[in-house]
Amino acid sequence: MATILINNVEYPIPEGEKLNAIQMAQRVGVEIPYYCWHPALSVVANCRMCEIEVGTKDPKTGEIKLLPKLVPGCQTPAKDGTVLVTDSAKVQEHQRMVMEYLLLNHPLDCPVCDQAGECGLQDYSFGHGQSVHRFVEERSVNPRKDVSDSIQLNADRCIMCTRCVRFTREITQTGELQVTRRGSHAEIDVFPGMPVDNPLASNVVDICPVGALLDKDFLHKQRAWFLSKHDAICAGCSTGCNVSAEENRGQLWRYKPRHNPYVNDFWICDEGRYSYKAANSPDLLSAMYLRAGDDHKVSPVSETLRVVGDRLQGLTTAGGKIAGVLSPFLTVEEAYLLGRYLKSLSPANVLALGPVPVRGEDQTFTPDPIEGRTGDASFVVCQPFTIHAEKCPNRRGVAAVLEHLQGEVIPFEALLGRVKGGEFRGLYAASSAIEPWIGESEAQTIRSGVAFLVVQDSLVTALAQVADVVLAGATFAEKAGSYVNAQGRLQYAEASLPPREGSLPDLDILSILLNRPGDPVSSSEILAEIAAEIPAFATARGGSPPEYGVLLAGVEPTRKGPVPPPFVDSWFVAQGAARGR
Amino acid sequence: MQADDPNLKLIRPLEMSLADRLFLPAIVVGLGVTARHIAGVMFGGKAITVQYPEEQHITSANYRGVHRLNRDHEGRVKCVACMLCATACPAHCIDIVGATAPETWPDREKYPESFVIDELRCIYCGMCEEACPVEAIELTGLYDLTGLSREEMIFDKAKLLSVFDATRNQEPMRYGKPPVDPGSLHTTALPSQGPGPA
Repeated sequence: MATILINNVEYPIPEGEKLNAIQMAQRVGVEIPYYCWHPALSVVANCRMCEIEVGTKDPKTGEIKLLPKLVPGCQTPAKDGTVLVTDSAKVQEHQRMVMEYLLLNHPLDCPVCDQAGECGLQDYSFGHGQSVHRFVEERSVNPRKDVSDSIQLNADRCIMCTRCVRFTREITQTGELQVTRRGSHAEIDVFPGMPVDNPLASNVVDICPVGALLDKDFLHKQRAWFLSKHDAICAGCSTGCNVSAEENRGQLWRYKPRHNPYVNDFWICDEGRYSYKAANSPDLLSAMYLRAGDDHKVSPVSETLRVVGDRLQGLTTAGGKIAGVLSPFLTVEEAYLLGRYLKSLSPANVLALGPVPVRGEDQTFTPDPIEGRTGDASFVVCQPFTIHAEKCPNRRGVAAVLEHLQGEVIPFEALLGRVKGGEFRGLYAASSAIEPWIGESEAQTIRSGVAFLVVQDSLVTALAQVADVVLAGATFAEKAGSYVNAQGRLQYAEASLPPREGSLPDLDILSILLNRPGDPVSSSEILAEIAAEIPAFATARGGSPPEYGVLLAGVEPTRKGPVPPPFVDSWFVAQGAARGR
Repeated sequence: MQADDPNLKLIRPLEMSLADRLFLPAIVVGLGVTARHIAGVMFGGKAITVQYPEEQHITSANYRGVHRLNRDHEGRVKCVACMLCATACPAHCIDIVGATAPETWPDREKYPESFVIDELRCIYCGMCEEACPVEAIELTGLYDLTGLSREEMIFDKAKLLSVFDATRNQEPMRYGKPPVDPGSLHTTALPSQGPGPA
């Protein structure tokens, strides 16, 4: 077995992966500080922060020979017999020198810098730097500028790691950013009139290790340490990007991508990134309503749910059929409970998949291992990133539930025709769409086709205007549950906000309607039930899917080979007292 | 540690003498101290209480009273909305809304759009003052803070700046230059204000 010697301890090298010294050390819990290296970008070794002592061990004599000079860890492959020394006096002295050099021109404006608290310079300056500064000359000042409508560049804070430049060249292959001028005058810039406006542009803000590239949407609004992070799934399209939804004072402030090598790698698209705003909208439904004449009257939650239960029960016992519209914005658990509920009233009730919003075409970014790379990309595992045209998170999941409950998936249009034909007495429509999901004319068709209409939503839609009962459900940010993305991967999303005043999470509404006994319902308990009952979901057994999610049964994996552990730049990991927040 | 640990040392209370057990000598000594103070107040002018409110108490220089928000030499709020005071505050009584500084402030990047301190919630520990990197928030010697409602005791930015204007002569800023022309500033308490540069 291949082994590597790190700081005099021998570790086995994982097979089938090509790792560099930084990654190898990270796996065994040894930190090698770095700025310019990123696992998805080519190695340029220009920050010099990761330099360590490297050598070889003679397999016969056991003699260790170290190279006379320090070598960048990002460029050093972890091979059998390699020796790494990361904590010697020589390495520490070098790190101190690099820190002093990087901070030569860096302004001391941490109090007003948004990156403070998750800044590579702060963390490494504390860990590896020194408290004194010998530079007495005037610092070079580069003015603030906009590199796009959503990104601001504070060039004086930049340390020229060129991660952003490599991102636009290698991942999006649009190449808007580059380094202009040389030496201490070097500056990141765009060509005049050609801003960074690709669909993944704002990722450059996330990969910036310092506060040079800033998101104008988040600029100066919150401090990083005030935000509580929740592991969520973006509901903007069927890619199902893993995001960290960051909340403070009952409001979402931003999305940051989370690493998932199967789904979104390290990135999210700008459309998804700013889709969090829908959860903060002041226009969300804030109470449950009952129809009173031509108007709606606010009604207490318990009363409203009792009316829904009684009326639907009454309709079915009178022999009427009820239709359920399950929007692809529902989680798997909600779709299952709603389906169960309507089928338990009468097996003749019909369930349909709600309208699936499709906008534009799928757009895929395929980084190439060689093409467009600035430096050595041999450690990079290329992973395509797709922005799907299907703008809902869970069509596959809801469809799989419907497939099991009634053997077929009825599309919304077909159901609409049957509603028009007067087949149904009641209709239960459930959604938590980001945008209004049913138009004026469709709402009218449904209204005139049924006697009793229940709408469970978070937005005031055309359908809610004409409904008999309006149930205020949770938005995507307020509910926990699982989504199945376009490739068939079931992923769990945490709730990032508490339920709004006057609303109830969809899962609770449905469990009350179902009269489920016991404690307040939890999504993992329902998912465990689903996994035991529906063969397609058998892989989610136990109800708590692993970190990267699980593929539904019978779905071919898109990525083969070993799976790396989740990658987070060390400065985004809470340090010190912030760890407990 | 066990009760029979050899490292444990048993200390018994001192034996009390007869005088100690009577307590009378101690009472007399105690009354003597009281008498000495009475004499000091009546004849020696050594009273430490004052006839408030006719006479005002003068606080020590490091007394921690009502907060103020300092102004810089141009009369703008000195605060840069870094929220370190809000972070340091153990009572969570500071609420700041930061915003990008107006174009007309080339030397500044960020400023507080709103800065609110709940003076009722505050425990006057002075941690905000210590945390502030620009010496913008200071605790003044004002101690007689009263109000008729809870709302009145929630101080917004304008009110905190007016505390500065009212106390700038008695208690000069410890660091930095004060605004040049005090006459051009609002010196009376300002009404509640909406967001906007000040």
